[in-house]
Amino acid sequence: MQCERARELLSPHLDGELSAEERRVVAAHLEGCRACSAQVHDYQRIGQTLAEAGREPAPKALSTRVRASLAREAQGEPVRISLFGKPGRAGTLSMLRSLTRQAAIIAAACVLSALAVWWTMSNLGQQQRLEQDVLAAHVRSLLQDSPIQVASSDAHTVKPWFAGRIDFSPEVKDLATEGFPLVGGRLDYVGGRRVGAVVYKRRLHIINVFMWPSASPGDTAPRLLTRNGYNLLAWSRGGVDYWAASDLNGGDLAQLQALL
Amino acid sequence: MPCMEAAFNLAFWLVRSRPDAEDIVQEAYLRAFRAFDGFRGGDIRPWLLAIVRNTAYRWLSNRRRSGTVVSLEEAFAEGSGQTADDIAADEPTAEERLIGAAERDYVLRALAELPPAFREVLVLREIEDLSYRDIAEVTGVPVGTVMSRLSRGRGELRKVLTRLLEKDEPNAM
Repeated sequence: MQCERARELLSPHLDGELSAEERRVVAAHLEGCRACSAQVHDYQRIGQTLAEAGREPAPKALSTRVRASLAREAQGEPVRISLFGKPGRAGTLSMLRSLTRQAAIIAAACVLSALAVWWTMSNLGQQQRLEQDVLAAHVRSLLQDSPIQVASSDAHTVKPWFAGRIDFSPEVKDLATEGFPLVGGRLDYVGGRRVGAVVYKRRLHIINVFMWPSASPGDTAPRLLTRNGYNLLAWSRGGVDYWAASDLNGGDLAQLQALL
Repeated sequence: MPCMEAAFNLAFWLVRSRPDAEDIVQEAYLRAFRAFDGFRGGDIRPWLLAIVRNTAYRWLSNRRRSGTVVSLEEAFAEGSGQTADDIAADEPTAEERLIGAAERDYVLRALAELPPAFREVLVLREIEDLSYRDIAEVTGVPVGTVMSRLSRGRGELRKVLTRLLEKDEPNAM
């Protein structure tokens, strides 16, 4: 391959945008051509420097400012844009103007509801965030070498381990005879607070039971949710909120809930 | 707010002024808000960055009319012809010269000197780590054009960088 042709391909080569065949030919050329490989090195080094330099940091107030202008827009108040002049207003007839205004409000309401979907990505509702947290904590525990910090099938070992680590005494039971052997316990972080996690097993399935003191008094019946293929079961009893997470089927999870 | 850091960065690199970039981001988000029905789903970042880019170019062309900046076409023509290939193989490479230099400052200065059409693809590729397809969506050109602009942009950036380093260290090597 000629240098001239190779040089056209160096940049896409770096970006991994070449076909397998082109990639092979370019790599072979680079092996034997000092000039081209120096060029690739420079490109790499420059790219790396740019990536490390990162983004020009946005001013903190910008987000607030943009939010405020969107809120004004959503209220049907045309936002005057300093850069490009005023957006067009309705004609001179006042009736026409009020009709336009109403239409604008309705349109803005539609846009706002669509935008709510958008904002969900950056601003989940509290309940959803909790579900997300529980799911994340469960998955994280599976990704680690061990989902537990205190390993014991003895409830009288696991329960005292939590004393002094969290501000309440969690429910820990050994349910081996019922088919839910206790694996152990650990601390986790859910909903912005430190929580207890008690780990049980059902055949090959790991079950995390997260628990923390309830914000509101009163028991609630178990609710089963499915998120990303995992089952989440939430209930509260005796002033404690429980969330069980597992890839176990809902029926078995409900059975564990009844036993706890 | 989604993608605000990326939006501000792109606007800043296109207009090279923080206060102007702020105005452009505010304007772009309003436009995004009004045009949200046009969003086809998927990754919101390219869609939003395309609006930021268009807003920035509109702002640049407004400013050009008031005579302070050269046109895109002129800017393009200015950089044409020679490329990094002109650097002889035996000269020290930019990499060698960079050792010990305030590398980041030089690279950012060199990037700022490039025409916007090169600057934007380099920012989107190297800083935002977008794929060619996403860059094509943001800049409204075919993927093949993204590829050639990145290729030329990298060459130009290397050339400008070499010039800057040579100027500041006339006795090096």
